[in-house]
Amino acid sequence: MEYLASTLTFTGISLIGVLGAYLVTGLTGLFSFGQAAFLAVGAYVSAILFKNFGLPLPVAAVAAMITGLIAGVIVGVPTVRLRRDYISLVTFGFGEAIIAVLNNSTSITGGATGLSGVPQYTTFPLVLVSVLVCLAIVISYKNSKYGRQCLALRSDELAARSMGINVERLKLMTFLMASVMTSFAGVLFVFYTTYVEPGAFGWVVSAEWTIIVFVGGINSLTGAVVATVLLTGLPEFLRFASEWRIAIYCIIVLLILNFRPSGMFGQYEISLRSIKQLFGKGA
Amino acid sequence: MSSLEVRGISKSFGGVKAIDDFSFDVGQHAIVGIIGPNGAGKTTAFNLLTGVYALDAGRVILDGKELTGLPQHEIARAGMGRTFQNIRVFRGLNVLENVMTAADPYSDYNLLDVCFYSSRKRSREQAVRELSRNYLKIVGLEGCEEERPESLPYGLQRKLELARALATNPKVLLLDEPAAGLNPSEVRAFIDLIRTIHSQFEFSIIIIEHRLEVIMSLSSKIFVLNFGKLLASGTPAEIVSNKAVTVAYLGEEDTACSI
Amino acid sequence: MTIQLLINGISLGSVYALIAVGFALVFNILKFSNFAHGGLMTVTAYIGYVASLFLRNYISDLPLFVATLVAAALGGGVLGLILERVAFRRLRDSNSSVIYYFISSITMGILMENFITIFASSNFYSYPPFLPSAALHFANLSVAIPDLLMLCFSAGALGILLFVLYRTKIGLAIRTTSFDVNTARLMGMDPNAVVATTFFAAGVLGGISGVFLGINYTLYPQLGQLIVKGFVASVIGGLGSISGALIGAVLLGVVEIFLIGLVGAGWAPVFIFVIMLVFLLLRPRGISGVVVQEKA
Repeated sequence: MEYLASTLTFTGISLIGVLGAYLVTGLTGLFSFGQAAFLAVGAYVSAILFKNFGLPLPVAAVAAMITGLIAGVIVGVPTVRLRRDYISLVTFGFGEAIIAVLNNSTSITGGATGLSGVPQYTTFPLVLVSVLVCLAIVISYKNSKYGRQCLALRSDELAARSMGINVERLKLMTFLMASVMTSFAGVLFVFYTTYVEPGAFGWVVSAEWTIIVFVGGINSLTGAVVATVLLTGLPEFLRFASEWRIAIYCIIVLLILNFRPSGMFGQYEISLRSIKQLFGKGA
Repeated sequence: MSSLEVRGISKSFGGVKAIDDFSFDVGQHAIVGIIGPNGAGKTTAFNLLTGVYALDAGRVILDGKELTGLPQHEIARAGMGRTFQNIRVFRGLNVLENVMTAADPYSDYNLLDVCFYSSRKRSREQAVRELSRNYLKIVGLEGCEEERPESLPYGLQRKLELARALATNPKVLLLDEPAAGLNPSEVRAFIDLIRTIHSQFEFSIIIIEHRLEVIMSLSSKIFVLNFGKLLASGTPAEIVSNKAVTVAYLGEEDTACSI
Repeated sequence: MTIQLLINGISLGSVYALIAVGFALVFNILKFSNFAHGGLMTVTAYIGYVASLFLRNYISDLPLFVATLVAAALGGGVLGLILERVAFRRLRDSNSSVIYYFISSITMGILMENFITIFASSNFYSYPPFLPSAALHFANLSVAIPDLLMLCFSAGALGILLFVLYRTKIGLAIRTTSFDVNTARLMGMDPNAVVATTFFAAGVLGGISGVFLGINYTLYPQLGQLIVKGFVASVIGGLGSISGALIGAVLLGVVEIFLIGLVGAGWAPVFIFVIMLVFLLLRPRGISGVVVQEKA
């Protein structure tokens, strides 16, 4: 039972990261290799403010999220003007830069050996509530003018501009939302694992989140949620030979890309209507 | 005062002058046509007017407001609506949502409203939804709201683009070969649709078309482009009898061939 | 001092050039950033290692080096063909959008890196010492012989590639297909053959790069992440331009060496990121890249 709770907690934190990736890649079509860097920012800033400066946890958490926002602005403002191919490069560079900063500021961050001694305040109920709140916000965003305009610019940027859509502003807004959300996930993360080191926040994590969004179906938020549970939770829960986890994961992705490119869920979204339809059919 | 004043616009690509010192006016609530052989620069002109390409020279003024040099989305919001020669509907959104995105920039709520599920968001969304449904009804697409745009037949996709352009609340509507790919009865229906829309709203319309029946029956004034330059302008009757225009389209009469 | 740094930079740049051109070849023809190239380099580096283990009882020094290179290059070519078939062929047939190629390539890259971790563990390996560790000295400068050899081989490989691309029929076919697949098909070129050839060539380059990286950095599963250098070089040089990738790579090598000299290897990534950002903002098309204006 203990183990189940811990797996679910970890899955929940990953899910918030995936929601960020969904906003950036699924809704807006940007490929960010740097999302994990915001996880790092959230984790380190909150941990350091709490441990070294004695700030109360909520204050440290908010400060961490604001730092994430600022970092998002620094990376985001130039990035949203760039061609699609370049965005992945720049966000990758950003991720590497953050890791380099963390590795080299040994006096504050503990450098490559990491930061430890962080108390465990994150509980499963806290993560569950956080996930539900973030999910609610993302759902509302998707079903709003912002979500629609993002999907429009993802489909055809030129046509979107011709319809009066301010493409750069929308990309930046969505990117910043994801940054703040992911930074928050970082706070939850560090106060759960009690230890972090810079190497845990590399581009592979960002790529994993993006891949999960794809496997679920870029057009489906439901898919992103289900895919996260399957690809993060299940292996943990079943205690796969952990070294094969990533390989199996990659093979699943390749299979889906080749045989069901629209992802597990395609365009499908769970909504009140679709649930009624499900039951209506049975009746 | 004219709706739209275009003064001496020019654009070169590499060494090729695509548009050379093109000027024209569009009066209030008018329908004008732009015609010309392939490659004459018609779509380029549209792209210059809407800000897709940057002007090398010239000015564009809409209802007294200077549009020259503004970014595309601001030009659109100032009242320049358009459809595209190669249909550019938004995939990933259904038909209704396609039209809604065009009305969304005018929708008045913010991020906080979104996060807190405010009633303001609910009411604005409802308003945009109703407005978009109405535009779909005007072009004859009601009932198709939930469809994926790419699954619609070609003619209906063109109607969708039209509804979407209407939703941007234009002062001038640019239609780029809107009848391309339509069969003769569809073309006639389309001409009627444009007339209906034009009488229902106050905006002016500029049409690029190859189908002369469309241009002739709708436009009060026609501008002829050839090799990027204005060749002639006038009423449909004047243009039809203009020798230079015939030559541009059909070439010189070769006496050796007139057996 | 500066000239010494310059020499080191050019030497590093030549290794990056191999990576960048291998990367640019695939970008040219399929218009996406092939991140699987990194994984390919890692695997071929290990293939070379295994080959050198077998052969070291029979040959040594320079011949062993060349044999290792050949093994890795061939292995890379074959792996490139496999990669194309498994990861990208279906996507091409179903006309998928670029995003899917990208995801597929990242996944393959991660998969290959993972296979190495599983089968070879995360330990560091190094090649047998087949290159003399001496250095040439002249004036106040020194060039390590391994660096010199790698520079020569890189230049040679790239020279052969450029020759093939610009002076042979298959090269013409590759360049044409990279402009427009359908027209090329109409002209009688088989796109599958052309794409396969391109991946083979990219794989060969990747194989050589892999060995060089393995020499410079020793062998470990994450070796392929240096593909990013190739990406950066291609971007600086202009995405889509092979000569640009070359220039960009050399520039990157020089800048990196200077930066490491100035701020140390730890902080270099931060400065490179800033420089890259500024560069992209000022000249997004790169050095030799082409501005592609989207038509409405």
